[in-house]
Formats: sequence, C-alpha cells, structure tokens
Amino acid sequence: MAGIADFLDSLIGGLDLICFCLMVGSLFWGLFVLRPWERQHGYNAVHLDTTITLLYKGGFYLAGAQLFKIVLKVWLMTAVLERWPFPEFASTTQFIGGAIRTVLALAAAFYCQHILRAHAESKAHWIAASLVTLPVIISGAWLVHAAGRFDNRVMLMSLTVAHQLAAAAWIGGVFQLVNVWLLRYRGQIQADLWPFLLKRFSIFGMASVSLLLISGAPIALQYITTWNGLVGTGYGNLLMVKIALLSLALGLAWLNRNAVLAYGISGDPSHLNRSVPYYIEAETFILITLLFTAASLASQPPAIDIPSLTANWQEVLGTFKPAIPRTTSPTHTALIAGEAGRVAIIGQVPSIAATEWSNYNHNIAGIFLTVMSFFAMLSYLKSPAPFLDRFFESIKFWPFGFVLLGIFLFFRSDAETWPLGPIGFWESTFNNGEVLQHRIATLLVFVLGVIEIRARMQSNQNPRLPLVFPVLAAFGGLMLLTHSHVGFQAKSAFLIQVGHTAMGVFALILATGRWLELKLDKPGKDIAGFVSVAALFQMGLILMFYREPLY
Amino acid sequence: MKALLKLCLMVLALCQANPAAAHAVVTDYSLKMQPIRANRPDKVVITFNSRIELGLSQVFLVRKGDTHELLKIGNGEKQGQLIVEVPALEPGDYAIKFKVFAADGHLTEDVIHFSVAQ
Ligand SMILES: [Cu+2]
Repeated sequence: MAGIADFLDSLIGGLDLICFCLMVGSLFWGLFVLRPWERQHGYNAVHLDTTITLLYKGGFYLAGAQLFKIVLKVWLMTAVLERWPFPEFASTTQFIGGAIRTVLALAAAFYCQHILRAHAESKAHWIAASLVTLPVIISGAWLVHAAGRFDNRVMLMSLTVAHQLAAAAWIGGVFQLVNVWLLRYRGQIQADLWPFLLKRFSIFGMASVSLLLISGAPIALQYITTWNGLVGTGYGNLLMVKIALLSLALGLAWLNRNAVLAYGISGDPSHLNRSVPYYIEAETFILITLLFTAASLASQPPAIDIPSLTANWQEVLGTFKPAIPRTTSPTHTALIAGEAGRVAIIGQVPSIAATEWSNYNHNIAGIFLTVMSFFAMLSYLKSPAPFLDRFFESIKFWPFGFVLLGIFLFFRSDAETWPLGPIGFWESTFNNGEVLQHRIATLLVFVLGVIEIRARMQSNQNPRLPLVFPVLAAFGGLMLLTHSHVGFQAKSAFLIQVGHTAMGVFALILATGRWLELKLDKPGKDIAGFVSVAALFQMGLILMFYREPLY
Repeated sequence: MKALLKLCLMVLALCQANPAAAHAVVTDYSLKMQPIRANRPDKVVITFNSRIELGLSQVFLVRKGDTHELLKIGNGEKQGQLIVEVPALEPGDYAIKFKVFAADGHLTEDVIHFSVAQ
C-alpha cells in the first residue's frame, strides 16, 4: 500500500499545482487582463461570475489538496514506519506549513466567493483579494525543496515562489482563456471580446514566461552544476522534459499570437474561431502535463547531491542505441529460479533471466508499435494504384495492434501468476499492488484498441468516442513522466527512466497531435495527424532497442 | 466526458508504485573511511543532503538471510547527520537499510552495503 500512497503523493503534488495556478492565475487575469472596473469593455455578469468562480474554486480545491497531502503523508508514514507517526509528525515543517496553508487558502477562497463575487467590478475588491491571497503564496515557500537545503536557503525559497507565481500567471491565464472561448462558443459574451482578450493576454503571457525563465535559471544552476548532471541524473532529465514541454507549449502560443496579429491586419476572424481555440486546448494538455512533471521533479534528489550516481552522456545515448530486438525469451522456469537471488539485500545475485525477460517484453511491444505506426503513417498517403485501394482503406484500422498488444502483455507482464505461473488470477490481482497495476495497464491498452476501432467504423456516429484515444494517450504519457522504477540502484533506475520519459514526451505529442487532427480543418488536420503517429513510431523504436541493466 | 476523466484518474492512481523515488540522499558515510572492526560495538555516521526528522526515521541492520534489526539513532554534529549505533558484529557481509523523512517532506528508503573484516 505504501507504493500507492507514495504515487498518490506525487499525483496530488500535480493537482496542488493545478489548483494553485487556477487560483493565483485567475487573480492575475482579473487584475491585469480582464480589469473589470474598466466599464468601456462591457463585460456581462455571466462572464465576471464564471471568472471569479474559477478563482475561488481553485482556492477551495487547493485547500483540499493541501489537506489531502497531509493525510496521505500520515498514511504513507504509518505504512512505511509501521507505526502511528504522531506526535513527532505534528512538529515538522511539513505538517505545520501544510496546515497553515490549508487555512489561509480556505480564508482567501471564502473571501473571493462571498465578497469579491458581490463586488466583481470594484478595483478595490480585486486588490483586497490579492492581499488575502498573498499569505497563501508566501506560505508555499516552506513546502518546497528549498526548505530542506543547507545553503542559500532563503534565496532558493524566494526564487521558487517567484517561479511558481510566473507559472500560475501563465497557466491560470490559459485556463481563463478556455473559459472565455466556451462563453464565446455558447454566445454568452460579445463576439469581439474573444480577440480583444486574446490580444491582451498575449502580452501578459510573454511577460510571465520571461519571469518563469528568469526565476527558473538560477534555481537550475544551483541544483545542477555540470553537463553530466543535466543529462545524467533524474533531476536533470526531468528538467529537460520540462524545457521540451515548455517549448511545445510556446510553439502553440506562437501560433496563437500569429493568428491574433493576422486578425489585427485583415480583420478576418475565421482563424481565430476555428484554430486558436483548439491550439489553446492542446496547450492546456501540455501545461497540465508540465505541472505534473514539475511535481515529480520535486521528488528527485538535485543533481548536485549525487555526483557518484551520475551517468555520463555516452551512457545516456547508449540507452537509445539501435540494437537487434530480442525475439526469444528465457524460459519461465529460469525466470522464477533467479527471483530469490535478485531481490535479496545481502548476497544479491543479478538475474540474467529477469533482465532478458524484461527486454523481450519491451522489444516485442516496440515491434508492435513500430509496425502499427508504420501502417498509420501509410494511411495518410493516397492509394497509388486501384488494386491497392482496399488495402489503403483497411489500414485506418491500425489501432487493432493495441488489442493484440494487450493480449501479449496479459501473458507476459507477471510471469509468476496465472496463466504462466502458479498463483491464481484473482488471488494475484487483488493481493499484489504491482500485479494489479499491470493488469489495469494491460486492460487499458486493450480497451484503447477496441474503442479506437469502434470510433473509426463508418457506422459509428458518436462524436465523442474518437476523443477517448487522445485523452487516454495523454494520461499514458503522464504516467510515464511521473513514474520511476523500483528496486534499482539510482544510476540504473535513471538509465531506464531516460527511455521512459522520452516515451512520455512522445506520448503527449501523440495525444495532442491526434486531438488537433480531430478538431482542425485541412491542411492543419493532416499535419497534426501525421506528427501524432510519427511520435508513436518513435516510441516503438525506443522500446524496440530497450536494454535493461543487469540487476 | 466527466465520467471518463474520473475513470482515468482512478486508473492512473492505481497504475503506479514508486516508493524509491525521493529526495534525501546520502552524500557521505563514515564506513568509507573507517570500516567497522569485528566483535565490538561501533558507531556509523551517515550524512544526508537534507535535514532529517529523527523521530520519523528508522535505521535497520540487515544480516545474511535478510533479517532486520532496528538500530538506535541520534543526531550528528552537523545538519543532516545521523549517528547509528551498530552492535558487535562477526566478520561477514551486512547492510544498513534506512527509511528517513527529510525536512522537505519526502520519505526515502535506501541501503548501504558493507563488510566486516576478520
Ligand atoms: Cu518499462
């Protein structure tokens, strides 16, 4: 159970950041972008009400997340230490800081719900709202990495708070833009407010991204002091993922900005209404993933602290090196025989069979994905000859590969259980957390295939069904990015993590690409779709060349 | 769509286990410089990269056959230092396994291997 508690802990870390962005970002949005006291823009009551609702709900959820964090920590400690963690826990910074922050967030949210909402057009009340939120922002400083450091503690704590503020200003603003678009879509606000607010936010967004980089750089330099630290540790790796995701999000923001500028020149709103909302949806996907990555970065030891566990760039590149995939598996008996030695603490014997078994699983899964995505890429081409028409018509059902992959994983992922091993199906599923996770992941892959095939059938008229695929793929990517491997030495675990986080980024590209393919018009539609399956192909290659370190 | 999101969150919550990931790491330990001598009680100093909450941390001695024994711990002279009291040991291979709670809220589990020479 400790495994689940610990995972929930990093999950709640991401949710906590999302709520923080919603609350603090909405406040900035009101103060700097919307400015409701400027009457000439003619905001209506629905508009102001939804804006403030997002703000105070963010605050209440933040309080909830903070409280849940404490409860989880208590659960986790009870499980790990095998005893009740009080009274010691009550005197830790984590408990006191978390409890204070919960109360502060509740108070601020309560103010916004009852007082700001009643005076939504008053500048004085918006300023008062930011004053009551300020303690919530500051109290966060005691709950971050920096609070446990010995050197430059105050500077690091302040920089981290500034970094969080900048992120909140941008990401919360994007959430508010989605809200404005929904209001515009339902015809609840004047049509010209959409381009007007997009334009105002574009300047504000650039300012917050600049602050994000200015505050982030010194923190990164404090925690990572060498190039190997950047490429060869989990901390550096996740930072690079954050930078990659930031670039993706900025790319979409750039497309938005171009659309706004073009509208300013031509006055033709078609692009603004038919592409920009979907770019913003995709950006939201990416930014949410970014926040979860930020939360899991906080559970990694800074690179500067683990010089002896740092991999060099040759080792990192080596994990992506092409190799002939392993297509034979060690026998099941050999695998089981090596298990006892592999998990021993004293006198550990590395199990070749376990490593080869795992390599085989990853490599075969890689072959599934490369073949599927190869057909998927073909499906964007026109049939070159009439006799191939039927073939080109049928390859749009390439997601069938997911169904086969699900079946393969069902047999292979937990060798000690039914149908290959002695432990029964139900017994293993409900008594072992790891087996349960594998079973669910396997089912997920299988269901993904079935749903996507149904979505592609001509007879299917449900417009929502195709959206399941990108949503599930994005969650898969999130899992890969927040996941780390158990039971390895830090360096081996890191070398596995490199491949998995790279796949996580590609999974996100797969998801956003498919999402945009479903929503955009041609030619953007086809470009996004092709990029999406090309990302799947990359994931296939990484898996196909996967080599686990011997342990 | 809402139900789907809920389902995803549930699946996501169950699909994970990562106890090892954490923040406090050992930056130094005395066994590197002064090995434990056979058949007499000794002290081991472990230095972490973060402040450690003593009351919420546990250190075990692991013997051959993976039997665990809880050891007494105290604070060292410097911040982030733990002093572990090790009983008299016969020559052989051992490990120190610890579960520590860092000041920034992360629980870490890890193992240090060592041998006692004749
Ligand atoms: Cu894996």
